[in-house]
Amino acid sequence: MYVLPAIAFVLVFVYFPIVMNFYNSLFRMNSYSDARTFVGFKHYVRMFNDPIFYTAIKNNFLYAAFSILFQVGLGMVLAIFLEGRFIGKRMGTFFRNTLFIPSIISIPAVALLWYFIYNPQIGLLNGILGVVGLDSLKTAWLANPKTAIYSVIMMSQWQYTGYIMVLLVVAIQKIPRELYESAVIDGANEFQKAVYITIPSIKSMLAVTTIITFIGSFKLFSEIYIMTDGGPYNTTQVLGVYMYRAAFKFDEMGYGSAVAVIIFTITFLVSILQLKSFKST
Amino acid sequence: MNKKVITILLITVFLASGLLLAATVNLKFLHRWTQEPDRSFFEEVVKEYEALNPNVKIDIQTVSNDAFKEKIKVMLGTAEAPDVFFTWPGEFTNRFIRAGNVLDITPYMLEDGSMFHYYGSQLIPFVYEGALYGLPYRLDGKVFVYNKEIFAQAGIDSAPQTLDEFMEDLEKLAALGMKPIAFGNERPWAVSHYIAALNQKSVPEEIWEIDTDPAIGTWTDPGYVKALEIYEDLVPYFNNFTNALKHDQARVAFMQGQHAMMYLEIVEIPEIERDGPAGFIDKIGVFPFPATDGPGNQSYLVGYPEGFVVSSKTKHPEEAVDFLKFLTGKEMGRLELEMLGWFNGIKNLVSPDEVKPIVFETTQLILDSEKMVNWLDSSLHAKIWSVYSVELQKLTDLVTTPQKAMDAVIKIATEVRSEF
Amino acid sequence: MLRRNPWYVFNKTWINALFWILMIMIIYPLFWMIINSLKTSTELFINSFAMPEKPLFKNYVDAWNMGFADFFLNSILVTATSVAVTVLLSAFCAYALARLDIRFKNTVLYLIIGGLLLSPQSALISLYRIFDVLNIYNTYFAMIVPYIAFRIPFAVFLMYGYFKDFPGDLEDAARIDGCSTFKTFLKIVMPISKPILAATAIVSSIFTWNEFLFALVFIESENLVTIPVGLSRFRDALQTNWTGMMAGIIIASLPMIIAFLFMSKAFISGLTAGSVKG
Repeated sequence: MYVLPAIAFVLVFVYFPIVMNFYNSLFRMNSYSDARTFVGFKHYVRMFNDPIFYTAIKNNFLYAAFSILFQVGLGMVLAIFLEGRFIGKRMGTFFRNTLFIPSIISIPAVALLWYFIYNPQIGLLNGILGVVGLDSLKTAWLANPKTAIYSVIMMSQWQYTGYIMVLLVVAIQKIPRELYESAVIDGANEFQKAVYITIPSIKSMLAVTTIITFIGSFKLFSEIYIMTDGGPYNTTQVLGVYMYRAAFKFDEMGYGSAVAVIIFTITFLVSILQLKSFKST
Repeated sequence: MNKKVITILLITVFLASGLLLAATVNLKFLHRWTQEPDRSFFEEVVKEYEALNPNVKIDIQTVSNDAFKEKIKVMLGTAEAPDVFFTWPGEFTNRFIRAGNVLDITPYMLEDGSMFHYYGSQLIPFVYEGALYGLPYRLDGKVFVYNKEIFAQAGIDSAPQTLDEFMEDLEKLAALGMKPIAFGNERPWAVSHYIAALNQKSVPEEIWEIDTDPAIGTWTDPGYVKALEIYEDLVPYFNNFTNALKHDQARVAFMQGQHAMMYLEIVEIPEIERDGPAGFIDKIGVFPFPATDGPGNQSYLVGYPEGFVVSSKTKHPEEAVDFLKFLTGKEMGRLELEMLGWFNGIKNLVSPDEVKPIVFETTQLILDSEKMVNWLDSSLHAKIWSVYSVELQKLTDLVTTPQKAMDAVIKIATEVRSEF
Repeated sequence: MLRRNPWYVFNKTWINALFWILMIMIIYPLFWMIINSLKTSTELFINSFAMPEKPLFKNYVDAWNMGFADFFLNSILVTATSVAVTVLLSAFCAYALARLDIRFKNTVLYLIIGGLLLSPQSALISLYRIFDVLNIYNTYFAMIVPYIAFRIPFAVFLMYGYFKDFPGDLEDAARIDGCSTFKTFLKIVMPISKPILAATAIVSSIFTWNEFLFALVFIESENLVTIPVGLSRFRDALQTNWTGMMAGIIIASLPMIIAFLFMSKAFISGLTAGSVKG
């Protein structure tokens, strides 16, 4: 009785659609008529022969790599600094909260803000480059195939590094103080304390954040959809947008479902890792 | 009071309201203008229609332009399908007609002779396999709008007629130290207008008409490559960051006098009058895309009317068609012209002295044009356009060649043909 | 003492400098947007760095009148409903699983928590078709229902851990006093569990308030969309009225930022407990 409504919701609107999605990926169908034709695994064959699909996967991995480097790597360094002796408590709270703020703004809002920042004519970035005399570096950040994907990636680092940092700060705060006290008696400096005590103690949180960052990179949609819509010439395509475009722009719901199966498979496998690392904590 | 009376009263009220509800016709009306003043215009139309037809209630829904192209496909597949909705005629609408989603309005139009109130040339785009499916809401066509002052500065005294003259003029304008053409191609429908004009001029008419049919189009005519070569020659004269700027952003630069001309839709002229610096509207002139020496017809104009159609799933076809006629009719046409500056497809809507000369002149350009050529993006199959548009953006950055670009289009066209 | 140690001073200096640079990187873009949201379009196009000649609050009024009022109301409605239902259903479910003797307990638990592994994107297309069949496409339900469904696993996961560690004495006492299970839950368990309920509610609110993909696909009418989708459509609609657009972005972001500034502790503890990104 108590569990029924919850389980019903989850079964009908989470599990069932995902199972349906496998089934749909075997058909050709569009959104404005009911006709469907069975095509078997044709969509998958086509997908694995489409260079854009590989660009998309590559970009998702690129996104993941940068996000792990910045959000987890840099985030960890910042967290250690914040909890170290070099920053006062009140300043620390201010720094922490400010760094956290971008993560609670919605992605569309942040993406639009950065869309303006990257605008070649009125944008903040080219403006600053002009002020410091680096005019040669000015470019159309989101329309230049060399810079577009990195421009979007950097926006996400701006938005989420503070968030992951806060998760790590909380983990560090849970480390028993005695560990540090004994280290100080042994004459350890700040660097040694970080390497030998802090990092090993937050190992599991590092694993969790790495994994959620990775999964986040494969759920990527709004940032790309709003800032570049996959352009210029598909160089910023990612799986999420690739799926959306197939299903809702080109009326190929079946093909879109096949892409969704790939997204599902990758995120599912990695999520199992996450669950495992949760259990070990 | 006694209970019985109350009960009877209640039942009566229920029944009465039920009857009223049954008599009310609810129509869903979808358009794509979310900003002012257009939004108010449609509200006004609905208000006036409801005043004339008290039994009809119209629910307005709006989806803005870029989203519209995606949303409409989805909506037509659902029970939420609107009764009367905006559309671009051509392949964009034809696939909905093929899927049986659009109502054939021919009988309704012949019945009361209202068919003949419209310019025939503006109804043709809404005809599919001999039947009429929609009515024009606004005329549109693509022309070069130029800044007369800048042209004079460069020593150009008349608008170019041919491509050679055009290239010479561009050279003269560039000598002033400016990029002559304002162009924002962040969304590639902008480049599609150039290519529609160039394809039509460079390829024989019978051939490009065949090629727009996804079931048989091959895109192998050498004229398509030629069209892209001409486009490639224009690229150096565009403003910088073409692919990064929105059309509107480039238009702001044009209105500020940073560029000498821009390839614009006629419907943008009232917008220039509204948004541009004071007096700017009197400084501009227009000329159609210059003629090339290609085998296509050189006097066609790129641009199609936009209009509205009725859903075949509507429960109230009579009322829906009646509203459609009202919306695109004379009275509302005059209101549209007054509020928005646009012409609909009704014959002799105004006399020449009622509007700005430039507005009348450009509208006449459409009506005088032998034939209108549909927008490239809405005349192509979505998958072909997705490849074509990417290749055009590459060409705008000069990172591909016309030949390679067309090879990619031919490849996707072959793939699409195999699906039919 | 250590404090005078030149190394200490050196490290303290560069680390603080690093943080101040980061502060500028976070705050300046936001500040840039705020000043531009107070300008006319012409001012923006001429120089996006300058302060507005005269702050123009009209942009905010325009943005509000041109749809944000609706978007706002929709967001509040959808967020409030989904969060309330999610928290309630999840609390029931988690409590039953953690404290009561019911059949198939483990199966149900794994099924629900397993929902965490499934990404919303892979359900998108089928959900769209399901909503169409159920006739709730393009209604508030098309957002509320999937939001609830996809938040329950997470909420149950959070609460289950909490209820599991809950001291049993209070419940026993209540039961001896003759309270039904339901009453025990309502009168004893719920009040004590306020912190975890609040944490769940906050995390779910952030998620729902900011959700984009479902809202984008399942809603088409301009008068039903929530703020994130409204914002993105605003860009098409407003053409180059970018200053109005920036005002819109600020309107969209303020509620969460204000809520955070007032309850930063609750936010952070909620998010840490979950460790799941948007």
